[in-house]
Amino acid sequence: MTMNRRSFLKRSAAASAVIGAPSLLKAQPAEYVFGASLPLTGPFATAGQLVAPAFAMAQRLINEEGGIGGVPIRFLTEDSGYVPQNALANYQRALATEGEALVAYFGDSTGFMKLVAPELRGDQARLMGSTSFASELANPETNPYQFLAGPSYEDQFDILLQNIANEGGSSVAFIYSNTEFGRDPIAHGKARAEELGLKVVLEESTKAQGADIPTHVTKLAQSGAEYCLLQGYVTGVWPQLIGGARQFGLPTKFMGTFWGMEKIIADRVTAEAGPFLEGYQGVMPYRYFYDREGAPRYETFAEMSKEMFAGTPLETYMPTWTIQTMCAIEIVVRALRDTAEKDLPLTADNAAESLAAIRDWDMGGYFGGPISLEGNKIGTGRVYTYGAESGLFTPSSDWFTV
Amino acid sequence: MINGNLKASYAADERILDNPYRRGFVFGAAALAAALPFVANDYIILVAAQMGIMLIAVIGLNVVIGYTGLLSLGHAAFIAIGAYAVPLLHRLFAAWGLPEGVMPLLAIPLAVAVAALVGLVVGLPSLRVKGLYLAVATLSANFIVIFLIELDAMAPFTGGFNGINTPEANILGWRLDSQREMFALIAGLGFATILLVQNLFRTRVGRAFIAIRERDYSAEVLGISLLRYKLLSFAVSAACCGLAGALFAYFYARILPEQFELALSLQLVAALIVGGMGRTMGPVFGVVIIVMVPELLKYSFGAIAGGSADVAALRAPVQEIVFGALIILFLMFEPLGIAQIVDRWLRSLNRWPFARG
Repeated sequence: MTMNRRSFLKRSAAASAVIGAPSLLKAQPAEYVFGASLPLTGPFATAGQLVAPAFAMAQRLINEEGGIGGVPIRFLTEDSGYVPQNALANYQRALATEGEALVAYFGDSTGFMKLVAPELRGDQARLMGSTSFASELANPETNPYQFLAGPSYEDQFDILLQNIANEGGSSVAFIYSNTEFGRDPIAHGKARAEELGLKVVLEESTKAQGADIPTHVTKLAQSGAEYCLLQGYVTGVWPQLIGGARQFGLPTKFMGTFWGMEKIIADRVTAEAGPFLEGYQGVMPYRYFYDREGAPRYETFAEMSKEMFAGTPLETYMPTWTIQTMCAIEIVVRALRDTAEKDLPLTADNAAESLAAIRDWDMGGYFGGPISLEGNKIGTGRVYTYGAESGLFTPSSDWFTV
Repeated sequence: MINGNLKASYAADERILDNPYRRGFVFGAAALAAALPFVANDYIILVAAQMGIMLIAVIGLNVVIGYTGLLSLGHAAFIAIGAYAVPLLHRLFAAWGLPEGVMPLLAIPLAVAVAALVGLVVGLPSLRVKGLYLAVATLSANFIVIFLIELDAMAPFTGGFNGINTPEANILGWRLDSQREMFALIAGLGFATILLVQNLFRTRVGRAFIAIRERDYSAEVLGISLLRYKLLSFAVSAACCGLAGALFAYFYARILPEQFELALSLQLVAALIVGGMGRTMGPVFGVVIIVMVPELLKYSFGAIAGGSADVAALRAPVQEIVFGALIILFLMFEPLGIAQIVDRWLRSLNRWPFARG
């Protein structure tokens, strides 16, 4: 029998119907839903509003690349006002309304991630990324469904302290906000400093918005610390604390972790309060968006940003906060795609298994090299220094892996 | 249709549900709550359970603000006490080797008792100060309790800033491991609380509270001990909030101190103002509005524009504005709250066509 085009198409259709039938029998939703809670209002509204556009971009990009196993995705974003319980209600609402179509969730705070962790059981569990780098979350045994899209705060302190030791520093001060966010790496940091032979000469807890900053500046001056690690602030203390220290004539080098390393904020503070951030350092797990050489993923984002965010500050620059969200989304998508490829249902257990198996993955330029999700986190980062005149954070160390 | 309000016996005079519409309304609500676990989807159950927990707390607040006339802005502290008591008591019971099935049966009453005791202490300033001054004193109680929970020295017990995981309720072998089952417990205890508090105000104690609200000096002249009844009012009120807190702990798998801060206290007061102070149904209506308005806004915004972040960002300020406007409108046009509006409406139905209420 000769095979012509028509008979080939007929037979192919019949064959694919037979082969494809079992997968059709599985209830596959018309689209997968990625839920998200963001602080679009409240104290961290600035961060939430910078992160929100990432979802629109991610939705378009992922769907253009074939969704997950051919099924498109949709984002469902809710405001949390940075209240963990609101975010929990949002998550539970998304579970109730979207059911199995909800395959992943993006949380907005450490508080939410901790609050929701024990709720993630059975059919209530979903793979979950977040804005948080809280050390407690990076524990596959207790939180198999939650991951950090970068190093934990403890890892970030390790990187900073290692860098100080490499530079020949001998004394360090820890100033942190009296919040969960601020206190996270302090105990670990003290132990690590001791291991590295660094003396912790001051450990000072402040309010998140720093009402009595002059007292802290005086204490810092009295301690004579060469380096001062700041933790648990987004912008609040820069002008008062660092500006105050410079006015005081202190030579202390200030350093921060991820949330204190955003160029937009540093530029704004410099424009409003002067160039005192010159030389400010900190740890950043990702490459900054302007560092796009050999980063094909960033090039893709740059093209999309030009089109999608024309006329906004996001047109030419993607903040680190947005990059972190994109990174978390890409990790979730990779885990879900791996699961779909194995022809397994996209349950939280299967997705978490795929997530934990990610090894030596080249993400296209986010990090210094290929990454692995070991211990549900990516323990890498490097130290950057801010130049007030250039308005850029430039690398001042190699990539550390912790 | 009735054409008069003839009451031929004391029993008829004392009846709470004194007209058929009111009876229909209350029994209808009870039937709806009973049917809910069987028919509603997860989302409705979630919202209903949240409403139930808040309702019990607002009923408690109503005792002290609505019936006794003592302004409190710190009742979230009592919810925190009730909530934190549950995991602590479970830990204690586990150390004693008590079977899991009886733990909630002991933990809930004990959590209520502890909250009531703390209520007694927090109520002490009410003997010397009133009005705004008392509001500030109770407000500070809220801050002190949260501060103590977050204190490093207390962290081994309360989890400090990190919060604490809460146990599952297991009542004599019935594991309440789903929100649906928890709702059944919350609804049952919610109705019991309404009934108890309603009946409290048909007793000597409740009437003493009301006398204090109307004029405390006159009440004292009549022989009502202000010390005893003001503190009792705080204790009853705190006990209800303690119950709400205990249910909160069983409902959620983890509690954090920031869930019990001033915002929650203010939300309780707002619900009471909107619903109607010093009325049995006031807390019910208030909680329905306070919980349902954001949900309805979310639903309608979602229906119009899907789940985009822009819409979510727009919705939050709209929600705040609607809340603010609601409170202002109620204070201006119906200070007695929705309870009064519904009452007027039911009364006019009952007397139609002879009177309009």
